[in-house]
Amino acid sequence: MELTKNITLGVYLPGETIIHRLDPRTKIIAATILIVMLLLSRSYIAYAAVAFFIAMIIVISAIPMGYALRGLKPMLPVLLLMWIFQLFLFRDSDTLVLFNWWIFEATEAGLHMGNLIILRVLFLFTVTTLLTLTTSVVSLTDGLENLLNPLRKVGVPSQELVMTLVIALRFVMILAEELEKIIKAQMARGVAFDQGNFIQKTKKIFPVFLPLFVSAFKRAEELIIAMESRSYTGGKGRTKMKTLHISRADLTAAITILIFTGLMIYINIATEPFI
Amino acid sequence: MPIEVINLSHSYKIGTPFEHKVLHNISLSIKDSQFVGIIGPTRSGKTTLAQHFNALHIPKQGKILIDNEDTADKKTDLVKLRHRVGYVFQNPDYQLFAPTVGEDIAFGPSHQKLHRTEIDKLVQESMHQVGLDFDTFRNRDIFALSGGQKRRAAIAGVLACRPKVLVLDDITAGLDPRGREEILNVIKDLHQNQKITILFISNSMDEVALLAERIIVIDQGMIKMDDLTRNVFARTEELRSIGLELPEVTVALENLRSAGFHLPNGILSVDEAIEAIAAALQEKGAHH
Repeated sequence: MELTKNITLGVYLPGETIIHRLDPRTKIIAATILIVMLLLSRSYIAYAAVAFFIAMIIVISAIPMGYALRGLKPMLPVLLLMWIFQLFLFRDSDTLVLFNWWIFEATEAGLHMGNLIILRVLFLFTVTTLLTLTTSVVSLTDGLENLLNPLRKVGVPSQELVMTLVIALRFVMILAEELEKIIKAQMARGVAFDQGNFIQKTKKIFPVFLPLFVSAFKRAEELIIAMESRSYTGGKGRTKMKTLHISRADLTAAITILIFTGLMIYINIATEPFI
Repeated sequence: MPIEVINLSHSYKIGTPFEHKVLHNISLSIKDSQFVGIIGPTRSGKTTLAQHFNALHIPKQGKILIDNEDTADKKTDLVKLRHRVGYVFQNPDYQLFAPTVGEDIAFGPSHQKLHRTEIDKLVQESMHQVGLDFDTFRNRDIFALSGGQKRRAAIAGVLACRPKVLVLDDITAGLDPRGREEILNVIKDLHQNQKITILFISNSMDEVALLAERIIVIDQGMIKMDDLTRNVFARTEELRSIGLELPEVTVALENLRSAGFHLPNGILSVDEAIEAIAAALQEKGAHH
């Protein structure tokens, strides 16, 4: 019984590689560019290029490949379901019908849309995971705050937003740990989570959520008290212990990501969609 | 219902960079109706070991036999096994999830395919055992309970499954002295009158010294001592080097000994200590 093993989002894997040492702002901007590119690309060659690029980052940052991709495993059933929906339900007037099943028909356009969505979700998740795996919570906060600072002038509470986001990331792991404890407590009194068919298993999940929500609210309340007792009053007047500065490595990273962006734009213009 | 642990090892987060081994080659056996204290510093692996006893962890290396049934065996009915080996968690908040005390205590038996009246009887009995009045507390909101009441409700919820073995994971932590004493009396009663095997994990050496007949000391995932209580607490230096505190009585007697009093070894209770000190004083008086 170990749920937290497969959770990689929000986990920081300390290291000394060049990727770890990059300024958090560089990493955040690079991740954003990669994500935008993923959302704009419609060609398989472009996705292959992204896959190669991400693989390079994983290798350079010395994260075991299996661990970097581990978080994807629990998502696979959901993705498969999405793929099936796209395959049968996506409609396009002049598309090839691949085969019919009962009242549904699978189309070529549906197949491509299904593939595209799976690829996008997988890569989006991997990029975000890589960002948190190589960046500690503190530098992630500093970087995001720094990037969003200009928005303060137009009244956006950037620091508070970032704090919320970082706490949310942190809570992924905390909630998984709580969930594990609750499931164990119920198993100890005779609930067989590992037995029964799909419907029976689903039914068993519901009594888990009540205590999970209760403990989530409790945790949140404790956190509020902890923050207030250290005089947290939001972003106003807060200073930083660490100052961020751009190094040579950041320049190299910036140039690399620019070249890659150019390449991606070229691939998307030069190739037809779904090739 | 004997428990047999053979060469058990356990690691967390296998296959990730965070993999770490918490139990190394643990072997032990527990006979019926024993009261065993399990002590060790924090993160020594006490809870992990204890959660193997009711198959919340299934061994990947080594073996556990509960009543001669292998928990790793696919044919073993784990649900039944978990009813026979009750587990009370460190934090009652994880364990209490029904809206009212009565419903929560009925949770275990309602998974045993019992008749309604039988379940009611079990709830009533187990509430009585832990000293919660049935009529007062049956419909009480879980969140309206005090810390001590929550623990008692949690224990009742496990007792309602009619366990033969009870694993108690640091259940007195954070309780006031009175709540502590009440809970300990409940446990003592269960052991003496119902002959339930008790595996008592605790950070309080005073409690373990008073209650347990045998003590298992765990440090860094290994068994360091496994002996009768008085023999374990006689090894004061070793316990200190592991980072464990000693029972207050042991410390007091030790200080008196170093001040020149002749006191016998193996005294654990306050009453015994008083007698021994009185005897030692008389002896000293006689010499003068």
